[in-house]
Amino acid sequence: MDYTLDIGAVTRNLEPLFQGLAVTLQLTVAANIIGITAGFGLALLVLSRFAVLRVPAMLFVEFFRCTPAIVQIVWFFYCVPMLFNVFLGPVTMGILALGMNLTAFNAEAYRAAIQAVPKEHLDAGIALGLSPTQRVLNIVLPQALRASVPVLLTNGIGTFQQSALVAIVGVQDLMYQGKTLATQTYRPIETFTIIALFYLAVSFPVSQIVGYLERRRGLAVR
Amino acid sequence: MNAMSRDTALVRITDLHKGYGPNIRVLRGLNIEMKPGERVVVIGPSGGGKSTLLRVVMGLEEIQGGAITFAGQPYISADGRKTRIDTEVRKKIGMVFQHYTLFPHLSVLQNLTLAPCKVVGEPRAKAEERGRAILARFGLEAKADAYPSQLSGGQKQRVAIARALMLDPQLMLFDEVTSALDPELVAEVEQVILNLAAQGMPMMMVTHDMWFARNVASRVIFCAGGVVVEDGPPEQVLGDPKEERTREFIDRVFHIKG
Ligand SMILES: Nc1ncnc2c1ncn2[C@@H]1O[C@H](COP(=O)(O)OP(=O)(O)O)[C@@H](O)[C@H]1O
Ligand SMILES: [Mg+2]
Repeated sequence: MDYTLDIGAVTRNLEPLFQGLAVTLQLTVAANIIGITAGFGLALLVLSRFAVLRVPAMLFVEFFRCTPAIVQIVWFFYCVPMLFNVFLGPVTMGILALGMNLTAFNAEAYRAAIQAVPKEHLDAGIALGLSPTQRVLNIVLPQALRASVPVLLTNGIGTFQQSALVAIVGVQDLMYQGKTLATQTYRPIETFTIIALFYLAVSFPVSQIVGYLERRRGLAVR
Repeated sequence: MNAMSRDTALVRITDLHKGYGPNIRVLRGLNIEMKPGERVVVIGPSGGGKSTLLRVVMGLEEIQGGAITFAGQPYISADGRKTRIDTEVRKKIGMVFQHYTLFPHLSVLQNLTLAPCKVVGEPRAKAEERGRAILARFGLEAKADAYPSQLSGGQKQRVAIARALMLDPQLMLFDEVTSALDPELVAEVEQVILNLAAQGMPMMMVTHDMWFARNVASRVIFCAGGVVVEDGPPEQVLGDPKEERTREFIDRVFHIKG
């Protein structure tokens, strides 16, 4: 293989990559804001006693869990504008598509954490005279929210990585800029390696934090 | 006011029926009258419904029949298919469970002050002062700011007792509070309960520790098959039971103990 590496071809063109990274981070942060807040609301609906609230919420969650993210994104970009006659600009569309996906996964994280609060703690709350609302606010949610943090972070970093999929519908994120640069410079190996390192540089610290939080929780639980 | 208010019982359980679902019947017409100042130890075979009885008295369970009054007031009744529980009466009863139920996200002191602040609306500073005083009485003042995960099992159970006492209960329920503990930690928890007993706290408890039962009880009730089989002073029920089933059970327990 007579391919000589030329990292310079990429390092001379870092600016578009950083612009792409900025878009990727923007997608990630905005999708996480949606996912962390709407996911919590959705979890409450999934846990509702009322089937009219519970069933649609469960269907929403299952739809996003049971279809590939790339299909969701493509469907969202092509079908929503045609069906509803709205188009909001590629970055906004990307945020909404990723945000809805993350909402579904985070709802599952919240639901599992809420249901993992031991029933005995609720009995103790009753024995202490706390009302149902006080039990939820003072016993269930503080424990559940803490327990869900590592999963929310893992899901959030998953969305960061999945956001690369929006490149195929023309959002000018890190992956899109990488593809463009690789084509212009004929340097796919250098370009995509550096792109991968960009993603790694963001994901790795977060996954270390998740590991640390999980170890600390493991110690605290017993 | 009426005949009820002249009732001298602290807890009167009348014809209590309780099951789990249609097929599991646990309590089948149980009657107990507990007088003020009594310390009732409930013994009986595993799965016989002792925890269920305490949970019903705590107001944690639905019942299918019967009624409970507390200090002469209606407390729990089976009203057709629904169970009616007077939650104001329920606040006069405290309970400590077999498994640790301290809230892990709150410090020891916060565990103690949560209910007084939220339920009674006691000012935080005052609740904390009372909390520290109770902890000091239990030899736990150094643990006020610790979290439950930093405590031994015996310390956790003592904190759980302290937490229940913060609400000045008129009756304490203890369901096998030492059975999850390592043997060397049992005594410190039993001592706290013995001290409470000496101060005249009415209590109803389940324990498998016959030595402890004999020391703490003013009355022992042997429950089996969902009804009271034998009921009397500890010396009699534990030492010289009248009923054959009680005798068999006591023999078996002491035999296991060696
Ligand atoms: N939540 C529950 N659901 C179904 N069955 C239960 C439940 N709690 C207890 N039981 C059953 O009721 C019976 C009495 O249980 P329990 O009151 O815990 O007995 P004990 O404390 O005397 O060992 C047992 O057969 C137990 O399996
Ligand atoms: Mg039991």
